[in-house]
Amino acid sequence: MSVLTSEWLKVRSLRSTYLVLGLALSAILMGLALAVMAAGMYDTASLAQRSRARIADLEEVLVMVPQLCMGILGALTITSEYTTGLIRTSLTLVPGRWPVLAAKSLIVGALGLIVGALTVFGTYFLSREVLGDRFAGAYTTPFQDRLPLLLALSLTVPVFALLGTAFGALIRSAAGAIAVIVGLVYVIPMIIGKIPEPWSERLGSLMIGALPREITGDTITTSVYGSLLSPAAAAMVMVAYATLPLIAATWLVRRRDA
Amino acid sequence: MVRRAGGPPSRILYGVIELQHLTKRYGGTLAVDDLSFTVEPGHVTGFLGPNGAGKSTTMRLILGLDAPTSGQALVNGRGYTSLRKPMREVGALLDAGAVHGGRSAYNHLLCLARTNDIGPKRVVEVLEQVGLAGVARKRVGGFSLGMKQRLGIAVALLGDPGILMFDEPVNGLDPDGVRWIRDLMRSLAAEGRTILLSSHLMSEMALTAERIVIVGRGKLIIEATVAELTARYPSLEDAYMALTSDSVQFGAAR
Repeated sequence: MSVLTSEWLKVRSLRSTYLVLGLALSAILMGLALAVMAAGMYDTASLAQRSRARIADLEEVLVMVPQLCMGILGALTITSEYTTGLIRTSLTLVPGRWPVLAAKSLIVGALGLIVGALTVFGTYFLSREVLGDRFAGAYTTPFQDRLPLLLALSLTVPVFALLGTAFGALIRSAAGAIAVIVGLVYVIPMIIGKIPEPWSERLGSLMIGALPREITGDTITTSVYGSLLSPAAAAMVMVAYATLPLIAATWLVRRRDA
Repeated sequence: MVRRAGGPPSRILYGVIELQHLTKRYGGTLAVDDLSFTVEPGHVTGFLGPNGAGKSTTMRLILGLDAPTSGQALVNGRGYTSLRKPMREVGALLDAGAVHGGRSAYNHLLCLARTNDIGPKRVVEVLEQVGLAGVARKRVGGFSLGMKQRLGIAVALLGDPGILMFDEPVNGLDPDGVRWIRDLMRSLAAEGRTILLSSHLMSEMALTAERIVIVGRGKLIIEATVAELTARYPSLEDAYMALTSDSVQFGAAR
């Protein structure tokens, strides 16, 4: 508990925290801008164009922003200690070491959960408000039908926060950990999209971006990811993303000379 | 057992650092080689040796930051990593630069203090003790090296521990600060604390320490009192030069 208080103060006492949180939440404004733009285009389009017009789920597109930001925040909480050398003091004061990593994970995980829910639900409600019944089938679906997917999308944000913390502890460099996060969000899915079937779909189903729709069974044919996993399997993969790197990091931090 | 001089005898300060055949190997290099000595309470023990002699590694081994290849380091008879509230038993300053520049001095100290259930009241106390009360809310990034040394000493003092270790605390301090450290070390020792102090400033060490441990290439060269050394050599500096002449790794010819 005392370590948790300490780590919470560490997070609160840095300006960079507020900058990253603000950037993550700015996804809501980006979503609003996109919705307003889409509504304007829809209104000036001909009737024939309107009937064919489709719009992506904006909260699903924009969740990448809080994912990246919280991944970076997770990485920074630990790598900033390695680059300054403060980690030596931290580990000296808590010789068991694992509570330091556990407290950091708990805090960025909780922040990720809040930020994830705020951006996903914020984007959803604002887009629905702006778009109304434009674009058939998008924001006209009843809220309770969309709720499972919105929750699953929100949950990917704390997963990224925990991944950031874990890779930050494993690699001990902000640049390295952030490269891994960016790789997971953009680079690896892009590469997987280019490899031959059936491996493209098989591996694509394991990407974090694929998991929310696999968990809710809400698959779409236009997805860049695969959709082979059952809801239970997808949920397990998501839990594995959140925990396995952290377990490896905890093991290494306890074992490694600091 | 030594009682703390002055103030109520609220707690007993007793501290011993014991190294038993402590050895640390990094790859092919022996940083610390079968090192055994004991640091006792009531006086300042100077820890001397050329660059690369293994002083900092020894301190890291005592603090459980690095795991020894063989042998052990004990504080108060126990391994450091088994301590539950280590700040109350051991305080250490290893690297004054190891701070996050974006945090204020007060927040830096408070987040470290919290790990060992130490509160803001004690943080304010140590800030006053090290003379940083006036800049407590300033961000540490703007501190001079001397101010960072004071901040690092404040961290070590937070838990009011019986054992204190300082690695080169005098670096970057102005003459006023050097004298302050000297007086602080002596008064902490006079309170019955155990002080291990490393420094390259021989004249300063001669004024501050009572016992001296000299290491070279990871090995113990000599363990003696300053009085013994200055009786055999013209000065502590001469003693140091003579005793470490075979152990200097990165020196010009002399």
